[in-house]
Amino acid sequence: MTIGAFLAAAGLAALVAARRRTPAKQEPAAVVELPQPPSESSRRMAALLEALPAGVIIVAPDGRIAAVNASAASMFGIAPERAIGRALIESVRSYELDRRVTAALASGIEESSELTFIAATERRLHVATRAVNRGDGRREALVVAVDRTRVIELETMRRDFVSNVSHELRSPLTAIKIMTETLQDGADPAASKEFLENIARETDRMIALVEDLLDLARLESGRLDLRFDSVDLSALVRDAVRSQTIRASKLGIRLDAVTPSDGAAIAGDRDMLTQVVVNLLDNALRNTPSGGAITARVSSNGSGVAVDVEDTGIGIASDALPHVFERFYVVDRSRAKSKGGTGLGLAIVKHIVEAHGGSVDAQSELGRGSLFRCSFGPAVRR
Amino acid sequence: MGRENFHRILNETQQDVLRMGSLVEEAINRAVDALGRSDVALADDILRFDDIIDDLNVRIETNCLNLLALQQPMASDLRTIAAMLDIVIDLERIGDHACDIAQITKSLAEEPPLKPLIDIPRMAAKAREMLRESLDAFANHDAAIAHLVPQKDDEVDRLYRAVFQELIGFMAHDPKAINRGSNLILVALYLERIADHATNICERVVYMVEGVPKKLKRSVVEINRAVAHSDTLLNPS
Repeated sequence: MTIGAFLAAAGLAALVAARRRTPAKQEPAAVVELPQPPSESSRRMAALLEALPAGVIIVAPDGRIAAVNASAASMFGIAPERAIGRALIESVRSYELDRRVTAALASGIEESSELTFIAATERRLHVATRAVNRGDGRREALVVAVDRTRVIELETMRRDFVSNVSHELRSPLTAIKIMTETLQDGADPAASKEFLENIARETDRMIALVEDLLDLARLESGRLDLRFDSVDLSALVRDAVRSQTIRASKLGIRLDAVTPSDGAAIAGDRDMLTQVVVNLLDNALRNTPSGGAITARVSSNGSGVAVDVEDTGIGIASDALPHVFERFYVVDRSRAKSKGGTGLGLAIVKHIVEAHGGSVDAQSELGRGSLFRCSFGPAVRR
Repeated sequence: MGRENFHRILNETQQDVLRMGSLVEEAINRAVDALGRSDVALADDILRFDDIIDDLNVRIETNCLNLLALQQPMASDLRTIAAMLDIVIDLERIGDHACDIAQITKSLAEEPPLKPLIDIPRMAAKAREMLRESLDAFANHDAAIAHLVPQKDDEVDRLYRAVFQELIGFMAHDPKAINRGSNLILVALYLERIADHATNICERVVYMVEGVPKKLKRSVVEINRAVAHSDTLLNPS
């Protein structure tokens, strides 16, 4: 029974109750058993309840479900036609909800607080239970549930973000402060030189982090002005690879660019696309041991242009793979610390590529290496 | 006790089994959550929860025994009561395993995490899913679902082996990881056992509905193989 049918029935029940209170002589019992069409107002009320974004369940005095609206059915993963007439706990498997409804029915106790409901997925709900006197000395329980899962997820993300940024900024600042204090107390020239180099390195790390944060903020707010031009990704990838060659060689890593000779131009922002390739190369260089190889490859076919950055590095576990484009997601935090990196590079890559109407993908095998692919629309004629 | 009263108490007792099931399902969820966050307060909550689970257990058993003694039920009713008496034992043990995990959380709270928990929450989710579906099968007297649920045990066993081997690797590499590693292996073992209890519940439901006791498919955890593998890691030739 949907809410509509329930209210129609409830309207009928009220009519029956009213007629039963009148003397039997004036109101033969047979009359009240005739099916009565629901009134216009009960139909309207039923339609409104059914359309409510909040989940509504009505539990009869005997603890059985009397009505469920569409939102409640979806929130609690139940089929109304199977749930109606059954005990609440048989359909909605939540001890806490059952306890609250039992308290409302038995003692008129009303509650309003958070409730975690676990079915196929975990939902965070705000649930209010109300005891409704029926007028015949018995109570019905009204359950009103609002799904707060997404809101709580966003709150958690915001909290994590602030905590991550604070942590990432505090670490270099603490190091700088300690080294500065040591220098103020006086240190021998060799130690002073090392400390100053460390301070410069930590400062660079903070500048990189702040720049990445600003880039990300601009990208996420959509306030970034992309200057679209015809950009040859082949030439851009070759330039980016060239810019990282010295660093790769110092790390003992072979770095190659494989690009089509006739070029592969797309409409895009040259600086932003350069940042995409540089970030991917930077990520590969930090995760590939000495003796490994990195290949940046551009390929083009009728349906689009792809930029791949493939390495023979440490690889990423399959369970971590879906998260690598998230802000501050670091597969191995202890390793990341020694290898630098802000934890924002791949998030920036994803935003820039998506701002170009493209998509990013990562494939990897632990111990074998990773492949990051940026796919764009078809090449444009130059 | 009239027949109407008998059926009322039988129905209420079946609902109590579902209440107890809901509590233990939540206890598993909270236990693994507390472990991942080293949340001692949440672990303490789970231990307190166990008293409610135990109270329900006693109430269900008492009601079942009263129904048996006073009504001499037969056929389907008799099998339902017999099934409930078995199911609550499995639920009570699952609740105990959630407490075991909570105790481990408390004992490891002062130590840094060995690694982010990935496969253990997956095992917990799968075991919980099996438990929920086994209780769905019980609530709906649905033998078809009860036959299907135990097939999911293979995935739990696979995850158990993966966790076991990974943690043995950690411990072989770093003796300081032994305390944390061995405790996490116990957590994985408890979750594997929870999945087995869910399979037991399905067997009871099949008996309750079909009237024929059946041993449902259950893959064997290859502990021996895993131990043999750990020996090769610990004592490489």
